[in-house]
Amino acid sequence: MKYIGIEKKKARWGYMFVAPAVLLFFMFSLYPMLNAFYNTFFNIKLLSLRAPKFVGLKNYIFVLNSPSFWNSMKATALFTLGAFIPLTIFSLIFGLIVTSRMRNQKAIQLLMYTPAVLSSVVAALIWMIIFDPRGIGNSIVNNILQTHGIDHRWLTDPVMLRVSTVTIYVWKYIGYFTIIFVTGIAKVPESTLEAATIAGASTMQTIRLIVLPLLKPTTLMVSIVTMLNCLKSFSTQYLFTQRGAPLEPLNVVTLNIYNTAMRDLNISRACVMSFLLFLVMMILTLSRMSSSERNVTEY
Amino acid sequence: MFLRNNTPSDRVVNLLINSLLVLILLAMLMPIAFMVTASFMPANEIFTMPYRWIPKTFIFSNYFHAVAGNDESFIFIRNLINSLIVALSTAALSVVVSGLAGYGLSKFRFKGRNFIFLMLMGRMMIPFEAIMIPMYITAVRLGLQNTYPGLIMPFILNTFGLFQMRQYLMTFPDDILDAGRIDGLSEMGIFWKLVFKNSTPAIATAAILSFRGQWDNLLWPLLIAQKERMKTIPTYIIKFTEEKSSDEGAMMAVAVLASLPIIILFLTLSKYFLHGSTMYTASKE
Repeated sequence: MKYIGIEKKKARWGYMFVAPAVLLFFMFSLYPMLNAFYNTFFNIKLLSLRAPKFVGLKNYIFVLNSPSFWNSMKATALFTLGAFIPLTIFSLIFGLIVTSRMRNQKAIQLLMYTPAVLSSVVAALIWMIIFDPRGIGNSIVNNILQTHGIDHRWLTDPVMLRVSTVTIYVWKYIGYFTIIFVTGIAKVPESTLEAATIAGASTMQTIRLIVLPLLKPTTLMVSIVTMLNCLKSFSTQYLFTQRGAPLEPLNVVTLNIYNTAMRDLNISRACVMSFLLFLVMMILTLSRMSSSERNVTEY
Repeated sequence: MFLRNNTPSDRVVNLLINSLLVLILLAMLMPIAFMVTASFMPANEIFTMPYRWIPKTFIFSNYFHAVAGNDESFIFIRNLINSLIVALSTAALSVVVSGLAGYGLSKFRFKGRNFIFLMLMGRMMIPFEAIMIPMYITAVRLGLQNTYPGLIMPFILNTFGLFQMRQYLMTFPDDILDAGRIDGLSEMGIFWKLVFKNSTPAIATAAILSFRGQWDNLLWPLLIAQKERMKTIPTYIIKFTEEKSSDEGAMMAVAVLASLPIIILFLTLSKYFLHGSTMYTASKE
């Protein structure tokens, strides 16, 4: 029997342990990704028995010239901007508020987190009833604005539909990101804060000059993660359009991909959109990776 | 943390922040309270303004309606079981795969280790939404439509869970592993008996991440499980709300039933739910 060194033996086991994950990666990430890219150059229809034809860049030209695609880009961009800006800002503020409380901090965190636990379809469903013309949404808003009996058309007006979907998203995820900021703030060294207190810094100064700079990496991380998640949102838009809301303001890229593939049965065009979505997300992720290395403040 | 409570003005500020916090919490919990109360009301009461936060009479027919469905087929129960099967088995399998890979990547030295780690992490850049269509076509070719493996397999590899496991196992003492080797345990035995059984916090966090992901998953079941009896809860909800004869009270009852398992899990294991978000701030490790 040939003798195998212990290092070599260990290396073999290393490969063995990693193998299932790598195999799954090839099967369910890399292969479909390459397959999607390959499909974009052919003319593939779902349920069609004819052999796919090579069409070169025709699909790209079609998608990049189609108003529906650009409408989707617009819908996705508006939704993403509308959701990620308030999410980042408010979860930072909420995080500061929560950590500044001495008592019941755990309970506050749990309560804030609860909406994030619900599934997104359930969240969309609850808000669909709240936004009903006869519903509690109109009633509360009218009470605050003192405008009685007005229907704000949450689920029919194009602008209001964007507002509604953003509201649902922010409501569902704000607690989640607040917790991220709470853990981020907890990592600010106690000694630095004490030094600031002894040096006579006011609360606002401590927050502005010490906590916020130290939170920069967390803030950056949160803003990019929210942005990536917003780009992928689907459930709310799908549920609303299935219930008869106008498609145009809600037709985010993922919904468009789904409809192009499953309703129009055009796999290739769906793959073109998938590929473009992937490019956008890759650029965002890479920018996160490179910027989280820099921009780090240390005390 | 950084607010003092010494002077009267400090106390005023604290009181203001406390009341703001109560308002925020009330606003955030309002929709959940609405869901629960409305599930006991007939539709016309839900839309009687001002909203009565305590139903006039608690009616339970909404729940019957929700479980039985509009056609009284009780397919909801089957769909609920499907959701549980899919979410639980995805969680279990993904924990094992993440544990193995996390162990291999943190405790073994081999050529290409860093590359493999980066490659697996790079998966975060490949959004499921961008590959679901080719995945769907492949799954159909393999005959995985309307099957449990079809619903489960694409989600066994969980990047976040794997990352959690690796980070956790980096700090796992090597001495224990060597003691196991000296005592004659096989490498597999070491993994099972020493590593896996002593990684409960990381396992729980990773398992919950997977479970929630599948409990919430709408897109993939929508594509792959079109038969009624293979639907999961999110797709059941979509179908139920599409039907004209569903009333709002019953919809809220469906929402409550769909949320109960995950809420119970959250209340019992909240620590691990919250822990899942800490990895975002672990950028310096």
